[in-house]
Amino acid sequence: MKNIKLILCAVGISISLSAYSLEQLSDSSLSRIQGQSGLTVEQSQLINIGNLSYTDDGNSVNVEGLRFSSQTDANATASRTYTLDVLEDGSLKIKTDIKPTQMHVDGIRINNSAASFGDLTLNYEAITDFTIRGMSTGGLEGNFTTGISNAELIWKTNGYAMSFDNIGYNASIDNFTLEYDVTDNTKGFLRTGLALGMDNFNFSFSTGALSLGGVSLGELAGNLALSANAQIFAGGRLGDEGLTFHSQVNILADPANEVRFTDEGNSLLMGDFSGALNLTNLTLDVESDHLAIGFDQMDGSFNAGRILIGDSLKPVGSIELDFLLNDDSVNNRYNRLQLYPGIRQPDFDAMPSEIKSYAQSFYTGLSPTSEGLSMATQWNLANAELSYIDDNRRVVISGIESYGSANTTIDVRDKKIAIGVSDLVGSYSIDGLRVGSKTAPIQGGAELLLSLEVFQAMDFDIDGFTEITAGGVSGGGIRIDGDYFFNNANIGLSVDENGDGIWATGVNYDIHLRDITFDVESDGLKINRGEQWSTMDIANLRWGSKTSGRSLGRVKLERFEQNSSLAVIPGGAGQVCVGATASTEAACGGAGGRWEDRGEQGMTVSLKAAFANAGLTTDGSATARNRLTWENNRDETSPGSGEYVNGTGTQIIFDNYSTNDGLGTTDSNDYGLQANLNIDVFETKVLKKSTGADANGVVGNIGDELIYTTSARDSYGYVASPDTAQKTLRPLGFAVQGNVSFKELNIDAVQLKHPNVATPQTVFYGVVMQNLDLTTNLTATPIQ
Amino acid sequence: MIKIIIIFMTLIYLPYSIALEPLAEEEMQQVQGQGGVYLSGDITINDTGGPLNNTADTSNPAIWQKNCTTTSTDARCGARLAVNAGDGSNSGWLVLDNIRGRFSFEGLTLTTRAIDSGFDGDGATFNNDVLEIGLPNTVSYGDVSYTLANSNQARPTDAGFQQTDIFTVNINGDVSLRGNLLLFPTGNP
Repeated sequence: MKNIKLILCAVGISISLSAYSLEQLSDSSLSRIQGQSGLTVEQSQLINIGNLSYTDDGNSVNVEGLRFSSQTDANATASRTYTLDVLEDGSLKIKTDIKPTQMHVDGIRINNSAASFGDLTLNYEAITDFTIRGMSTGGLEGNFTTGISNAELIWKTNGYAMSFDNIGYNASIDNFTLEYDVTDNTKGFLRTGLALGMDNFNFSFSTGALSLGGVSLGELAGNLALSANAQIFAGGRLGDEGLTFHSQVNILADPANEVRFTDEGNSLLMGDFSGALNLTNLTLDVESDHLAIGFDQMDGSFNAGRILIGDSLKPVGSIELDFLLNDDSVNNRYNRLQLYPGIRQPDFDAMPSEIKSYAQSFYTGLSPTSEGLSMATQWNLANAELSYIDDNRRVVISGIESYGSANTTIDVRDKKIAIGVSDLVGSYSIDGLRVGSKTAPIQGGAELLLSLEVFQAMDFDIDGFTEITAGGVSGGGIRIDGDYFFNNANIGLSVDENGDGIWATGVNYDIHLRDITFDVESDGLKINRGEQWSTMDIANLRWGSKTSGRSLGRVKLERFEQNSSLAVIPGGAGQVCVGATASTEAACGGAGGRWEDRGEQGMTVSLKAAFANAGLTTDGSATARNRLTWENNRDETSPGSGEYVNGTGTQIIFDNYSTNDGLGTTDSNDYGLQANLNIDVFETKVLKKSTGADANGVVGNIGDELIYTTSARDSYGYVASPDTAQKTLRPLGFAVQGNVSFKELNIDAVQLKHPNVATPQTVFYGVVMQNLDLTTNLTATPIQ
Repeated sequence: MIKIIIIFMTLIYLPYSIALEPLAEEEMQQVQGQGGVYLSGDITINDTGGPLNNTADTSNPAIWQKNCTTTSTDARCGARLAVNAGDGSNSGWLVLDNIRGRFSFEGLTLTTRAIDSGFDGDGATFNNDVLEIGLPNTVSYGDVSYTLANSNQARPTDAGFQQTDIFTVNINGDVSLRGNLLLFPTGNP
C-alpha cells in the first residue's frame, strides 16, 4: 500500500511539475496527437527543480536537485506517453508508458541542515494502467496495474554507493476507493480525512542483486496479496500541522505469498504466509532537525506456513507470530522513530572505555557535514506470542515483552554499509512456554531456549559498531566485522513469573567479530566465523532476585576462536533409537531402546568451535586467550551493599584451553570442538516420580506416564500403560539428538590465586582430553 | 546445547557440593516454585570410536587410526583424559583411558524454586531460591568402561610414550538415584 502511495505521489509530482516546465511542441509533434476514442500525449521531459520543500509548523524537508531526465545523459530528455480514454461507464482510463527515465535527488535536508540523507538515483521504465470513476456516494473508485522493469535504485553517501540492481515490480489493485468522509477525534477535536480502500492488492518484486561496490549480497524477491484500508488526516502528533494515518491490512491467505533471499542460486524462503496488521495514529511531523514518526499502537499477526533454507525438500517447519506494540505513558515507554540527516556521532567520552576506542575508530573521517542517516528509536512491545510448529506439533514462546531505546547511524562506505548503534538500552523477558496449542496453560521451561542461545530475560545497555561487506565465502553473501560491548547487563538464565531465579548480573560483555560470513548454500545456512574474541565478566551469579539474591561469586569467561563455523540445516533427527543402538524399530525394541520417528521437519544446528591457543589477534590489536575464572570471597564495596570488588577474592582459573587436531597446541586446529544438534518438537515420555498427588493435585503412582486428556493439552492425568492413542497425547518438548566431539581439548593449567599473591599457583600443569565422541538423545519437556 | 546447560549446571554444582547443607527427605517436600525442565534419554560415549579413529581422515596420527565398532576392544577406541598433577614436565600423568559406554535415564528435572517455609521452620529463615536437580529414579549403565593408568607423556603420540594400566572398570546395570539436589550459594561471594 505504501508503495502504491509512493508511486501515486511520484506520478502526480512528475505530471504536475512537468506542467510548469513543458517544452514547446512543434507542429510535427502536435500532429502526432491523435484521438478517435481518446487522447494520446507524447511527452519529452527534462525537469530540474532546485529545491522542493514540504513545510510543517514552520519546519521544512528540502529535496534538493530533483531531476527527471534521460538515464544516459542528465541534460537530455526522457520520453513518456499518456493515453487517455473515457469509457462507456464514464470511467477515465489513463495508460502511461514511461520510457527509460532517471529520477535523481542531490540531497534531502531538514531546515537546510549541514548534512543530508545522501543522494538517491532511480533508473526505471514503467507501464501503468489506471482507471478512475466517480462513486454514487461521492468519492472516487477504480482499478490500477503497473509494471516497473529494468529499474535500479542507488543510495550514495559521501561518494560511496549501494544499489538495488535490476528491480522488477508488478502490482495490481482490483478495486480501490478514495473518499473524503472519514472522521477522527484522537487529537481532541473532530477532523475529516481521506479514506483509501484497496481490494485484492497483489504485487511482486524482485531485485537482481543488492550490491555494494559492484559485489552482490544476494537477490531479494517476493509476492504478496493483501487488502487494506487507510485513513489519512491533516495534523500530526506535534504542533498543528503534519499527517496522521490509521490503517488496517489483511495479508490474504495465498500459497504464492513469499519472500525469497537468494545467494548463488540457493534460497532462504519464507512462504505461504498470511496475517493482519493494524496501525493506530501513525504520525509524521517535521521538527527542527529531524523527521518524527510514531504510532500509538501496532498490532497484528504473521503466519509463515513454509520456511526453506536451501534444500527445498526439507522444510524447517512453520512459525506464527501475534504481537502488540503500544504506548505505555505510565512507564514512559513509546513507539517512536526520529530520522536525522547526516551522521550524529555518539558522545565518546560517555562511553565505557572497553568500546570507546573502537567507536572513535568507526567514525574516523566523518564530520557534521557527512551524509548518512541517523535514527533515534524507542519501542514498547507489550506482548508477543511466537509459535514454532514442527510436523504439526506446536511450541509457543509466550509472553514476550520488550522496551527500550537506541541511537543508530547508517552510511555507505567503500564497499561497506556501516551501522553504528549506541546506547541501546532496554529490557526483554519471556514468561514461559505453552505446548500443544496457543491456549494451553503456560509452563516453565523457557530455559530450553538456551539451546538456541536465547536467554529468558535481559536488561541491556549495548554499544555496537558493524561493517557489512558484500560477498561471503563463495560468490554472494554477507560479511560482517563488528565490535560490541554490553555494559552492566543482567541476564536471566532461569526465571519464574516473579522475575526470580538464576541471574547473571552486572555483566560486562566485550565482543569482537572479524570476517564473519553468511552464505545460503544448497543444504542450509552457513556462518563462518573467521575470528572472534570476547570477555564475559559476570559480577555476580545470583540465586533469587537479580538485585539482592545470594551470589555464587564472579565468573569471567574469556574466549578466542579462529575459523569456527555454524550451520543451520533443515530437517531434524528423523528416526531415532533412544537407549540403544539400532537402525530399525524392531531391533531398537529388542535392544531395550525406544523408537521415535520425529518426522521430516525440524532443524539441525551444526557448530564448530575452534578454540585458539593464546596469542595476538590477526589484526594485532589485542592478546586473546580462552580462560574461565571463578572468584569468590571478595571484599564488599561497602558493608551490606551486596556488591563486591573484583580481584580481591580467591580465584580458580582454567587457563588457556584450546582445541587441536591431536598432536598438541602446535598442531593444526581444523576439527575444533564440533557439536551437531538435531532439534525437533516431539512427544516425550514423562514419568511420575512419586506416588500421590502432584503440585496440581493430580493423583498417580510412581512410574505412571503423564498423558493429556484433551488435544488442547489443557488437562492431564497419569496412566500406567498408555495405549497408542494416549501416546499421541504425551507432553510435547524439544527432542535433541546431539553429538559433541573433539580430537583434543587441551587446558594449559588449572590454577588457584590468593588475593595476597601476584601470580596464581598451579594445581594441574596440564589437562589433555582426546578422541571424545559423545552422543545424546535427550527430550526436554517444560514442567509445571 | 542442552549438554552445555547440563555441563554448566554441573560446573556450578561441583565446586559447591562441598557447601551443601544436608536436607531431610520431608524437608525436600516443602520446596515450592515454578516450572522447569524434564529431561530423559541417553548419553553415549564413543559408541563407534572417536574422531581420531576415523581412518578416512589421513591427518589423524597412525596410532589412533582404528576400525572401531560397538563391540571392538581396542584401547584406542575410547576417549582419553590425562591430568598432570605434579610439577609439570618432571612428573607423569594420571590417565583415564578408553572411556566408553551409555547412560540412560528417565526424569532428570531442573527447576529453580523458592524455599520460604517448611524444613522444621528453617525454610522461613532460609527464604531464598535454589536450583533443584531432581534425580531420575533409575540410571541404566550399558557397557560403561574406563581404564585407570599412569603415563609418562600426555599423548600416545608423544615421543617416548609409555603407559602403565592399573585397572579397568566395566559397569552394566541400573543405579537407583532418588531425591533432589538443592544448589544454592552460601558463604562470601
